[in-house]
Amino acid sequence: VSAHELWFDGSNYSADAIQRAAYKLSDKVACDVTTKEDGHRCVLEITEPAAEGDGALIAEFRNEVLDETLRARIREETQEFRNLILALAFSETGLVEDTEP
Amino acid sequence: MRKFEATPAFVPERADWQLLPFRFHRLGPRVLLTNMVGEHLFVSRDEFSEIADGVLPADSPLVRRLRAKQVIKQPGDKAPLDLLAMKTRTRYRRLAESTGLHIFVVSLRCEHSCPYCQVSRQSSDRVTYDMSPETARRALAIAFRTPSPNLKIEFQGGEPLLNFGLIEEIVWEAERINDLRGKSLAFVIATNLAFIDDYMLAFCAEHDIYISTSLDGPADLHNHNRPRPGGDSWERATAGIQLVRETLGEHRVSALMTTTIASLDRVEEIVDCYVDQGLNEIFLRPLSPYGFAVKTKAFSRYDAGRWLDFYEAGLNYILELNRRGVDLIERYSAIILKKMLTNEDPRYVDLTSPAGIGIGALVYNYDGDVYASDEGRMLAEMGDKTFRVGNVHQDSYGEIMLSEALLEPLEQSFALSAPMCTDCAFESYCGADPVYHYATTGDFVGRKPLSEFCRRNMAIFKLLLDRYETDSDARAIFLEWAAR
Repeated sequence: VSAHELWFDGSNYSADAIQRAAYKLSDKVACDVTTKEDGHRCVLEITEPAAEGDGALIAEFRNEVLDETLRARIREETQEFRNLILALAFSETGLVEDTEP
Repeated sequence: MRKFEATPAFVPERADWQLLPFRFHRLGPRVLLTNMVGEHLFVSRDEFSEIADGVLPADSPLVRRLRAKQVIKQPGDKAPLDLLAMKTRTRYRRLAESTGLHIFVVSLRCEHSCPYCQVSRQSSDRVTYDMSPETARRALAIAFRTPSPNLKIEFQGGEPLLNFGLIEEIVWEAERINDLRGKSLAFVIATNLAFIDDYMLAFCAEHDIYISTSLDGPADLHNHNRPRPGGDSWERATAGIQLVRETLGEHRVSALMTTTIASLDRVEEIVDCYVDQGLNEIFLRPLSPYGFAVKTKAFSRYDAGRWLDFYEAGLNYILELNRRGVDLIERYSAIILKKMLTNEDPRYVDLTSPAGIGIGALVYNYDGDVYASDEGRMLAEMGDKTFRVGNVHQDSYGEIMLSEALLEPLEQSFALSAPMCTDCAFESYCGADPVYHYATTGDFVGRKPLSEFCRRNMAIFKLLLDRYETDSDARAIFLEWAAR
């Protein structure tokens, strides 16, 4: 099993985004994340080597962390609309009934 | 009197836009975007970057496409929120109308000895393996307590026709109760058709009973997969199909096939067999990880990759037949396409979230035990009663629907809170399926990157979307399938 150490700047990446990316690629890599003051140290163990070599998997992991960061931004930016839509959707279903006084 | 406002009323107040909740998935040079209810569009990677960075010009033609799919809204747009709310409500309507499907296992006895079978017993012991009339009456009482306006009662086995007398009793009693309840009531018998006779057919005709059977393909393949005394399972099944079509009507019978390792290289022959039998739908199904399929190791003889090759070749062939004018749909694709292209939920138990267990179906076993799904019952036959939610002789409808055995897997497996599923662009098309994941990993959620369920379905979603976007004939056919 080969291992690679990666560094993610804390001002741009969250531990949550790294963990989500690690989970998504957990059929190919095992990941150990240590959060420091200014960022996250990530040890990536390649458990299922790719034909293209470790570099391809590392690039895939980094890109996945970027996408997870973007997903977090979209979630945060659209949270208010999501809640409003769900409230509107279920306000007339009778699924949520008023409790009796 | 003017019915519409003048044009300026439809111009956005400001020429910018806001994101609405959406999910994305990169597919080669394109990025798939799905809105809150699963409506999709593809954009290029550059276009996606502009959307993500908030720099897409307000006058870009893409803005109109994104607004049409409710991925963005412009300030002042009020309709997108209402539309998304209405579509969300439509998609989840099934929750207020649970439970529509009630499966009665009237006998576990069967004369077939299929190596992939989940549950059946080769036994003549009627007392041990047949459902009693009292158990059936109690099960019916529970079925009629469910709020669903549509009630489908499906008779399964074993071979249910071996206990046909009880089927008659249940049908008469259900119709008697329904005279007061006024639900839309339907009956299905899932049978190998080996024992169907004129008396049974007359009863089915009188009570509008639909027949579902098994047909694995050409005679040699079917008889290899489904051994019975005399080795004539295929001959009996196909004769039965013709008899049902002649007696009950052209479309009162459908068939299911199960893919064994012997099927993998023969998909076109299998499809041709369905066409020859005059059937207008086929369901390309992989083996399930339950019952004798696990004991006999049939389940582990091929992986998701090999089954996907089989499925893709089958789909391509079915599309080709449709282009030639043959009316044939692939049922699994049609279920997914309905979820992709309409706001209707086809209520297919494996592809719903919250999971379809209990909410979509209840299974009343021959001995009175109630299971949250047919697969849950199969697991019980292997000795694991995790999905046993009660017993008709001991528990009320309320106790069954509020049992921990039902609520725990429902809550844990809910896709919108499951790792990876919550951000998955295909989530609206997929399902939770806690029984599959429990059977294969020991917990209700499973690890999605290693899940064959996830791998298989993701590949099918991508395949269907690719055909829909790149092949105009396939697009027209898919739209027609989705509308059925």
